[in-house]
Amino acid sequence: MSHHHHRCDKAQALVYRYLDGEIIWFRRIRVRRHLRHCPPCEHGFHFEEWLKRRVHDGCYEEIPTPVYERLRAVLRELPVEGDTGG
Amino acid sequence: MADPARFEDDVLPLLPQLYPAALRLTRHPADAEDLLQETLLRAFRGYGGFKAGTNLRAWLYRILTNTYINRYRRQSRQPTEVELGELEDLYLYRRLGQESGAARSAEEEALERFVDEDIKAAVESLPEVFRLPVLLADVEGFSYKEIARIMEVPIGTVMSRLHRGRKALEKALWEITERRGTVGTPA
Repeated sequence: MSHHHHRCDKAQALVYRYLDGEIIWFRRIRVRRHLRHCPPCEHGFHFEEWLKRRVHDGCYEEIPTPVYERLRAVLRELPVEGDTGG
Repeated sequence: MADPARFEDDVLPLLPQLYPAALRLTRHPADAEDLLQETLLRAFRGYGGFKAGTNLRAWLYRILTNTYINRYRRQSRQPTEVELGELEDLYLYRRLGQESGAARSAEEEALERFVDEDIKAAVESLPEVFRLPVLLADVEGFSYKEIARIMEVPIGTVMSRLHRGRKALEKALWEITERRGTVGTPA
């Protein structure tokens, strides 16, 4: 039991890196193997994946058209190369 | 070398992507617009040094980040390091599961009850050192390596800040849930 717990701890500590795809291959295999045999951890990982997507979608913000137009005007007014040379 | 004459064409399509990050960082639409405007001017001045064909989007976020830090951190006087304490892994999952009983998808159901405003409030409640990596990873989808370049910190620092930042975000979401007092039942 304690052996099993230890593996859960190890897998859970890597949850973010695993979901970000930022984990070295042999650790990825180890985590994946653990998840196959540990439904509570697998469910927890699913939850974190879901949360990550929720944060992404929840932070979506459309740029207001007036803001976009004003920033575009800023870009338009930038000096084009050659202007300064006359 | 990038061609300055192409600056407008190159940068304009990226504005809609930069806006949410600017808004989450500054928390106010007017400040977000100011930040973007200054970012554009700085980017234009540095555009000659930008290597064409490399990651323009990451380069712009780097300028946005630097501009934000130089301009707003001074104003807000936020500490650069923050004590969060040690939060356990799967923080929110454990709490939502405990509160809502044994149903298998109870945690996901609880998560669905968060509206976008909750998510935004939780992200904006994060101290800036954590908010930035969370935004760059979860909202903008940058890799750790890209985030390290954007923030100009070692990749190990990115990993630990992202780790702690996401846990802090889970804690903030849990606090929203508690305040509402509606875990397990529809609001």
